Amino acid sequence: MIQLFNLTKAFQRDQNALSDVTLRVTKGEFVYLTGPSGAGKSTLLKMICCAERPTRGQILMDGRNITQLATRYIPHLRRNLGIVFQDFKLLNRRTVFENVAFPLEVQGRRRIEISKKVYNVLKQVGLEHRLSHNPLQLSGGEQQRVAVARALVVDPLVLLADEPTGNLDPDVTMDIMELFKGANARGTTIVMATHDRGLIRQFPRRVIALEAGRVVGDNQP
Amino acid sequence: MIGQVVYFLRRALRNMLYSPVLSAASIFTVGVALALLAFFAIAVLNVQRLTASWAAELAVVAYLEQPPDGTVLNRWLSEIRAYPEVAEVTYVSRQEAYQRFKKRLGNDADLLDGLGADVLPASLEIRLKPEQREAMAAVVERLGRNKALGELHYGREWLERFEAFLLLLRTIGAALGGFLVLAALVIVANTIKLTLYARQDELEAMTMVGATALFIKLPYLIEGALQGLFGGMMALLVSFVAFRVILRESLGNILLLTGIDTIHFLPFAWQGLLVVAGALIGLLGSLLALRKFVRFCQD
Ligand SMILES: Nc1ncnc2c1ncn2[C@@H]1O[C@H](COP(=O)(O)OP(=O)(O)O)[C@@H](O)[C@H]1O
Ligand SMILES: [Mg+2]
Repeated sequence: MIQLFNLTKAFQRDQNALSDVTLRVTKGEFVYLTGPSGAGKSTLLKMICCAERPTRGQILMDGRNITQLATRYIPHLRRNLGIVFQDFKLLNRRTVFENVAFPLEVQGRRRIEISKKVYNVLKQVGLEHRLSHNPLQLSGGEQQRVAVARALVVDPLVLLADEPTGNLDPDVTMDIMELFKGANARGTTIVMATHDRGLIRQFPRRVIALEAGRVVGDNQP
Repeated sequence: MIGQVVYFLRRALRNMLYSPVLSAASIFTVGVALALLAFFAIAVLNVQRLTASWAAELAVVAYLEQPPDGTVLNRWLSEIRAYPEVAEVTYVSRQEAYQRFKKRLGNDADLLDGLGADVLPASLEIRLKPEQREAMAAVVERLGRNKALGELHYGREWLERFEAFLLLLRTIGAALGGFLVLAALVIVANTIKLTLYARQDELEAMTMVGATALFIKLPYLIEGALQGLFGGMMALLVSFVAFRVILRESLGNILLLTGIDTIHFLPFAWQGLLVVAGALIGLLGSLLALRKFVRFCQD
């Protein structure tokens, strides 16, 4: 599903945020990206969704080379991705319902279809009773569930999550992980950056360890 | 399709309602700039109308010391009519000149009582086509070759002076207008930028869920265009009110002396143009503002 070949990113010269990362994530896999702060986890995820361009190397997504994908095609790539951030990145002037509906509106889906899908996915994350609320009226865990709902509503091929539980309490973290597990069971490939060792122990999956921009470990449970 | 239009319009209006003060500032800026521009346009248009009416009356008059006989006259007439610059040639006989003068004197016509009908010379009045007015000197020169035509009169100098004034007025108007429009553009762009700073996270979030640049920008472009449109309408209203209460009086006082009967407001097409110009300023302003804000990729 995702193939990286000698992926290298240097924000400044002689200082690689990522160095020669080569790895392969197959369809339906659930992969953790771990490593200390500054290891390059976020940079790697950003390059997979074309938010950053690699300095060297190649990225293939579902067999397609997206290394130098023209900017005007980036939106189309992202319609097949679900992206979850540590800080949620919700539209705070819109309701929960509108936030989750937005990726479908963007694709020009029909109103009826949108309403049905949004309601279903909100039920999945247990927030159907909150759909008319504003994100800022919700707790952190609820906001992240809205973000996960927004990522999953498009049935993405790949879900990229950058420390999605970094700001959340342990019990809320469990809720989010259950949602990811559910999506993964339904076929979505998941790449999740985290440095929460306990979490990995609780939900053991393949772990790719980064350190100073290099892959230093790749272990199946 | 209609659903799409409504969708983007709703997003645009919602954005405007979220920052009413900034929206009002944009509208006001465009309105003031275009109103000033409209004042100038009204002045220029009316002065232009005046010179046009003068120019239409402008003719070369050739005074004939000896009224020619019929065949010679006809030859001259057809010769002059053949000039490409000439619109019309009329022969004014001594009697006609006398009648005209009498009429112009009106109540004082009895001054002429002691004089014969042949005190005034006969003349040829040669009117040029409006677009050939520049060629007047050439025509006069060509006419001058016929010594029998005698003295040639034409009121060119004062018209030229007036046209120079008109040109000055237009140049000032264009320079001031260009400056005002540019200033309005920059202010509108910056106003919209202010609203975009506040929504940076939102714009980023939109780029991350697969929205195209156009999808994200369209509401802001509509917002800018609407603000400009309202600004243009405000300018139209303000300039019309100013026209009714000030401009018509003061400009009228100046221009009425010179023989123009009424002062006109902007013609309908120009009114439309003013509003369209407002919308374009707003559209362009938001386009400029958006350039840096909607980014899919850090490159
Ligand atoms: N936009 C940027 N400009 C310059 N350096 C950056 C930028 N983003 C990340 N870096 C650097 O790249 C390295 C990896 O960062 P990051 O991918 O955020 O690590 P992680 O997510 O694992 O904490 C760090 O040294 C960081 O300072
Ligand atoms: Mg990070």
